[in-house]
Amino acid sequence: MAVQAVQARRRRARAGGGRNSRVRQWPGAIFIAPHMLMLGLFMLVPTVFAIYTSLYTSKLVGGTTFSGLANYAIVLQSGAFWDGVGRVLLFAVIQVPVTIAIAFFFAAIFDAGIVRGSRFFRTVFFVPFAVPGVVASVMWSFLLLPGFGPYAEIGQALGLGKINFFSSQLILPTIILIVIWEFTGYNMTILFTSLKSIPREVTEAAIVEGASLWRIILTIKLPMVMPSVVMLVFLNTVGALQLFTEPSILGAFQPQAISFGFTPSLFVYNTAVGSGEYNLGAAAAVVLALIIGAISVGGFAVRRRNGEFR
Amino acid sequence: MSRQRSAELVPAHLYGLRRGTTVVLTVISSLFALFILGPLIWLVINATKDQADVYDSFGFWFSGPFRLFQNVAALGQDVSGAGIFVQWLGNTLLYAGVGAVGATILSALAGYGFARFSFRGSNALFFGVMATLLVPITSLALPLFLVYAKVGLVNSIWGMILPSTVSVIGILLMRTFIESSVPKELIEAARIDGASEFGIFLRIAVPLTVPGLLTVLLITVVAVWNNYFLPLIIFSQNNLYPLTVGLASISASAETGTKADLVPILISGGLITVLPLIVLFLVLERYFRAGALQGSLTG
Repeated sequence: MAVQAVQARRRRARAGGGRNSRVRQWPGAIFIAPHMLMLGLFMLVPTVFAIYTSLYTSKLVGGTTFSGLANYAIVLQSGAFWDGVGRVLLFAVIQVPVTIAIAFFFAAIFDAGIVRGSRFFRTVFFVPFAVPGVVASVMWSFLLLPGFGPYAEIGQALGLGKINFFSSQLILPTIILIVIWEFTGYNMTILFTSLKSIPREVTEAAIVEGASLWRIILTIKLPMVMPSVVMLVFLNTVGALQLFTEPSILGAFQPQAISFGFTPSLFVYNTAVGSGEYNLGAAAAVVLALIIGAISVGGFAVRRRNGEFR
Repeated sequence: MSRQRSAELVPAHLYGLRRGTTVVLTVISSLFALFILGPLIWLVINATKDQADVYDSFGFWFSGPFRLFQNVAALGQDVSGAGIFVQWLGNTLLYAGVGAVGATILSALAGYGFARFSFRGSNALFFGVMATLLVPITSLALPLFLVYAKVGLVNSIWGMILPSTVSVIGILLMRTFIESSVPKELIEAARIDGASEFGIFLRIAVPLTVPGLLTVLLITVVAVWNNYFLPLIIFSQNNLYPLTVGLASISASAETGTKADLVPILISGGLITVLPLIVLFLVLERYFRAGALQGSLTG
């Protein structure tokens, strides 16, 4: 990229001199300015202000006073906060690979063209992308509610006994199920598009050499779409660590199933909006952002060391 | 293109597959399709029931009087002070419409700036913008609320619309679209003819990137339509709620034992919430797909 820019600059310098090239390039900054202004106002300013807020403490008596890192100490020593962090990490470790594996399986067999009606399936699988998480969670809550939910009833009819999908052991798998329902199709669509961009000659050559379908998919195609897989791992992980909508709606149906700090985002929301402790909530939001940032940067570093990222 | 299409179905024997394998794969795909469609089928069926039947009858079949029209009509009323669904629908249309149009305009301008100019620091700026993709939205909503509380944007529709006009994915898409569909030579020729820079953008770049603009518009409509956390935090008056927050508030009061018939509103409201987007998606599927394609190139 940089090399191209340098070459372009040299070409321009040869063609008409430096002054001319400056005249041609400066409008770019003006085209970008409106977006940069909004990004600054609605992303940078709030972030800085949140950090500032997190350093103060508000009391009914005595007003707002500077308290340094006291709020951070409270957050970092809060069992509820770390409980939530541990839960979303466990959630991400299970949900992200399962979602991407299912998505890749379907993308690969649809790409190979061995399933009849694959166009229909691709459309159906992508539909949940258009369903808000709130509505998805409401539907699944009704389907799984103990006592009358049809899926719970079907389970009972099949002799699985009374399954309580909202019990403390099953609540996390239940949320994983809902998130898989929501996002597998989106992941599949991206992987399918990547697979389609592999030249047909590659597949033909492999077939001629007698490679089996599964070998072609796993040892030839999968490595070629690895950049897309890596990107999806990042997007899914960042999303999983912010888990909020699904547990908060399930909590509306079965309040005892979802605790105050079930996920870090719920901890932030309940602390700030629920309890009105905005300074503490801001500190928790900053810690959460740092944890997600550290995981993202760490992931990049590992991939880079393995030479899988340019 | 026609070659591509003929490649869609490769004869299974070429892979050395037995016919049974393709049958098994089709069955697996059908089961997963059932898993995906199940909740939506449930939603349609139960939008026709009254509150008692939602709980008492089997979820995957019709029961009792057909009450779909009464349920939908109730969406225009304020049942037990929970708020009016139709108002939320209007709010969502406003937030998603204005927000997405704004995001598309800003993304088109910025995408053009990044694609066709290389001013000092433009590369660093671009990667800086892309890095904000990793900033967790939920950690940003509370900070936004804190700033809004200072500048009086709490319970203001602009507090919802303005941040929705920032779309990093939109910039990435527009940059890629413009790089592939607006020839540099055309821009140079227009400059030699004496066209202004903004005139070139408006009369040459924009008409050539209409499919790209549509894709960005659709993706941002979906993003704002489905946004829950930000409106949840910045709105405390239920006449400003979008659909997501309104339905969530109903689901909370429907389950905390109020006597009012809120469950039919929750279910038929859910149906009305997802229908427009699903129809939009089915009609304009190829533009959504184009978005996914560009997404795959970022890896």
